Amino acid sequence: MRRPFGLTTAIAKLAKWVFLLFMLAVALLPLLWLLVNSVRTNLELQVSPFGLPARPAFENYRNAVAMTNLPMLFANSIVVAVASVLVNIAVASMAGFVLSRESFKGRRAIHTLLTAGILVPIISFMVPYFTLVTKTGLYDKLAALVLVDASINIPVSIFLVTSFMASIPKELEEAAIIDGCGFAQRFVKIIFPLSRSGLVTAGTFCFIYAWNEFIMAMLLTSSVSSRTIQLGIRFFTSQFITDYTGMFAAITLSIIPSVAAYVFLHDKIIAGLTAGAVKG
Amino acid sequence: MTVKASSRVIAIAVLALLLVPSFMSAQTKELVLKWPCIWVGKDSKAPAITEIVDAFNAANAGKIKVEIEPQPDYNAYEQKVRTSIAAGQAPGSIFTVKLNATTKEFYNSNLLMDFSADLVGVWKASFDSNAVAQSTINKKLKTLPFETGVLPIWYNTDMLKKAGVTSIPTTPNEFWAAMDKLKASGVYPMSQMSGDTNAWTSMIWFSHFAVSFGGADVWSKPFTDKAFVESAKLMKRIFETYTTPDAVGAGAGVSGGHFLAGRTALFSNGPWYAGRADLRATPFFNTIVIALPPSMGPNKGISVSRLQANIAAGETTDKALRTAIIAFLQYLTSTDNIRKLAASSGAMFAVNSGYIPLDPLQKQFYDLVASSKTTANDLEVALGAEATLEFAQQLGALALSKVTPEEFCALVEKRIDR
Amino acid sequence: MMKKRGNPNGWKIALFLAPVLLLFGAFFLYPIIFTAWTSLMKWRGIGTMSFNWFQNYAKLLSDETFRLSIRNNVIWALALGFIQVPLAALAALILARGPRGWRLLRTLYYLPNVISTVALAMVWVAMYNAQYGAINGILKAFGLQGRNWLGDPSTALAAIAGQSVLYIGYFMIVILAGAMNIPLELYEAAKIDGANVLQEEMRITLPMLRGTLVTSVTLAMAYGMRHFEATFLMTGGGPAYASSTMGIALFLKMDALRYGEASAAGMILILLGTLVIVLIRRLLGRDDPMSGTTG
Repeated sequence: MRRPFGLTTAIAKLAKWVFLLFMLAVALLPLLWLLVNSVRTNLELQVSPFGLPARPAFENYRNAVAMTNLPMLFANSIVVAVASVLVNIAVASMAGFVLSRESFKGRRAIHTLLTAGILVPIISFMVPYFTLVTKTGLYDKLAALVLVDASINIPVSIFLVTSFMASIPKELEEAAIIDGCGFAQRFVKIIFPLSRSGLVTAGTFCFIYAWNEFIMAMLLTSSVSSRTIQLGIRFFTSQFITDYTGMFAAITLSIIPSVAAYVFLHDKIIAGLTAGAVKG
Repeated sequence: MTVKASSRVIAIAVLALLLVPSFMSAQTKELVLKWPCIWVGKDSKAPAITEIVDAFNAANAGKIKVEIEPQPDYNAYEQKVRTSIAAGQAPGSIFTVKLNATTKEFYNSNLLMDFSADLVGVWKASFDSNAVAQSTINKKLKTLPFETGVLPIWYNTDMLKKAGVTSIPTTPNEFWAAMDKLKASGVYPMSQMSGDTNAWTSMIWFSHFAVSFGGADVWSKPFTDKAFVESAKLMKRIFETYTTPDAVGAGAGVSGGHFLAGRTALFSNGPWYAGRADLRATPFFNTIVIALPPSMGPNKGISVSRLQANIAAGETTDKALRTAIIAFLQYLTSTDNIRKLAASSGAMFAVNSGYIPLDPLQKQFYDLVASSKTTANDLEVALGAEATLEFAQQLGALALSKVTPEEFCALVEKRIDR
Repeated sequence: MMKKRGNPNGWKIALFLAPVLLLFGAFFLYPIIFTAWTSLMKWRGIGTMSFNWFQNYAKLLSDETFRLSIRNNVIWALALGFIQVPLAALAALILARGPRGWRLLRTLYYLPNVISTVALAMVWVAMYNAQYGAINGILKAFGLQGRNWLGDPSTALAAIAGQSVLYIGYFMIVILAGAMNIPLELYEAAKIDGANVLQEEMRITLPMLRGTLVTSVTLAMAYGMRHFEATFLMTGGGPAYASSTMGIALFLKMDALRYGEASAAGMILILLGTLVIVLIRRLLGRDDPMSGTTG
């Protein structure tokens, strides 16, 4: 941790905190609104979206929890999110290693190709994904979602991971080579551990994407046993009616794992890293 | 074990676990009919549909099983149907389609079963012939009309009385007078909307105006026709003077929300809305009167209605499967089951079941349909998705005087696929 | 210094690249080829397709509303790249110095990204509501006029983009992670030289973060070019297409079963996005993954 601000100017200090707190308010507002409205009734919401409940409508949570198959939906979401992170990180770290630290023909081209995927509007891929998944017999299986979510995040993960891996000093690898480390060992023993920060960041993004992903989950599964929590939440809508406050309660419940994953993963590992800092 | 190796093992293990179920397939000779169904959860038809499907499955145990795959999110469901068909696969053995100028394209796909040879005799006679005719395109009947709806105006007569309006307006003059009285009493007469992809409530109002100016088949005229321009002028006037201030950009939820909250006196929607619990809970529920709006043009008494949901089936060469599908559809559309559906949901159907509702609001709908001599389509059904989207988008511009009524009509005309 | 001859680890490199290329091929290359192919077709979402070559492109590019969508995407790219990222960088730099509660702040800033975009969009639709929204409420408290933010073609885009750029969590994490990787020794050396905070940031942090910052801006602009969800949920692209984007246009084309045109829109989006990214990287200096720590 760098030494704290030595700013003596009171104005600068004030400005800094005004800025931080304003951004905080903006960030927290939706969550607070969601929470408050998850214990109101739909009528109250209609009449005044920013009011407080007359009495807390905890039945919204009871209904959300009683939602058919809630544990199964949760489990499916966890499986899909965790598995897609593992696949994504495994695949991106291996590729990032060779793209950032090896020299070979076509390296730049491949890197550009992979990262160009960020530009692609996934929404336009519904038909090809549907075709791909049905033709490979993966329709209505969680494995389809795992592969789709892991793959969609390849461009971003490659982008982040190569950038982090590239900043690891060459000397560390050279020292390892002198010590007799082979190709794979350089990856496993040096580069992979040192790029943990970037990998965790990429993994977090992938987890959250997979957790919140709705469109492909809806498209590529049909039976209830393959559904994720995001599909379950849609039960609070029907053709003309949306039970918004009920949905908010369900959304609040569904946020907990992502928040927990984010807080646990990121906080722990970054804290561990900064304790030692990168030894030069 | 190193991090990489152990994570690899976990990944493989997880993937293996996920793929194992795919190797276990159900050993059964039962024919399974998958139905990605939108009438689930909180939809008013859900209880009856569940009952009907359960009864059918019980009666055909071991031979045919209809499996409902819940699709509560309607927009997502439509995406799924379109994507499946575009990828060359029917979304299920049974599925529903909203038939309009855009979706009639599905009739050109060989994924949908053609019912022309099946809908005969007694079965055919139970259907409303107009509905069947509307569902027949180029001699093919690839969807069966199922749920229908008339789209009248709903009046909160409690609010009207409080504003000094003692009767439902039947002429244009009475209409504007009533609107002015409502305004004078401090309320918003209507909650129009230009949002969502079809500006639903306002689209219905516009349709009423258009058919009264141009007749039931006004939709075959170019959109630059006087009938449409006059209708656009009326919409502009209403948006400017007689509606809630959030009308531009508002969605169906907002528009309906105003009516449900007792903030606006007039509304428009179909019979399915009558079954809503939150509507029934309003203090003014018993004062709601359904009526066609006064005809603004020379054509009077045309009721705007639509086929709300048609049933389609995935084409199959398996004779046994085909027979099973037809058997289920016949069961679903039997007069007894239609009666059951109508009674429990408030919805109306293309099958004449002889059902007469006891519920006063529902009965108003049935009476209105019975007394309608001429019916016409609404804009969305007649002109399809792109034109309707343009209509909705430009309606806001029209309301804000960024385009003239003539320009508005010209813009929509450009999007109509003729 | 690396000699550019054939790398002796050739087959190992290929092995390490194989999984990513396989997945990328299946889930990106195949769909892009599919999209490019079908963009040349008259395709109404049913089985049959027929070539109509570049008619879809011509139709889209001559369509005023599509051109408006393109312009909106460029605005999004600029807003995200040059407002959102700088704000995120500012927050990251402040947090990197460990002010009180920085860990909590870091977690809280990212929370909005964790909840579904649907919920987020609903909140802001309520905030911007003309009658009872909080924004108008605040303005009225200051004696200013409220407006129908999302319902007015002249303010819709600004309203959506305006709230979007404030959600800095995503880039803040990336930049913060990079900032925390900078060796402390550099700062200690600077302190000895008598540098103050601002000088430290300007002379050490920012140059060391150059790669990360260029990465973030590039990423942000790419997201801007393919922006879809927030706008679709809040205004559907309206009113009068004022807030429409290429992604929305594409999506609505599919609604109308104009799949050939939707594919063409997708291709235009990808091509224009590529153009923007190439331009930006040329302008800001390439982010060379092989360059290691740059000075």
